[in-house]
Amino acid sequence: MEVRREIDVEASPEEVFEALSTEEGRESWLDEPGREIHVESFEPPERLVWWWGAEDHPATRVDFRILARPGGARIVVTESAPSFPLADLRARFAMVAA
Amino acid sequence: MSDELGAVFAALADPTRRSVVQSLLREGSTSVPALTASLPISRQAVAKHLAALEDARLLERLPPVGREVRYRLRGEALGPATAWLRDAESAWEGRLGRLKRAVEAGSGGDPRA
Repeated sequence: MEVRREIDVEASPEEVFEALSTEEGRESWLDEPGREIHVESFEPPERLVWWWGAEDHPATRVDFRILARPGGARIVVTESAPSFPLADLRARFAMVAA
Repeated sequence: MSDELGAVFAALADPTRRSVVQSLLREGSTSVPALTASLPISRQAVAKHLAALEDARLLERLPPVGREVRYRLRGEALGPATAWLRDAESAWEGRLGRLKRAVEAGSGGDPRA
């Protein structure tokens, strides 16, 4: 199962990548000190993937795509819990319940 | 809620337990003897998997008929996962808004100033 969100910003993909990929950059928008980040994929400036979790959160995967657009960038983030096939279960559950 | 979700994740990370849940989605209810007949694992292993699913609150026991214990999925079993989706969506809404303000304020300035 996964969630996906996107936003357009007036900043270059390089600036966005910096804000996502460095501890200093993340301080300006991500205030979640209990979460330890483990980077899976580092491809400046268009893609960053990390895993994170905390004591009270199961580990999930966060995939950022940074696309250049006129005047700025589009950030698309997908957070997923790959071990949990919820969509499949929910679809079957709905079928049986119906 | 988070502990509950962690338990659901852990319970469903195992392929045998996923197949038990899938057979419950098809059949409605099941029992240790029924699963032992349909899965290539021992009765003890079946009982262990059912206990793990019950601990994660994915299963519940039906009112007993004679000595047979039957299990069914709890209707709200997928609730914690649905809550995770909702919480994750609103969390990213907030984070992306802050990220936008931070990068648009530029690398030289402090967006919170």
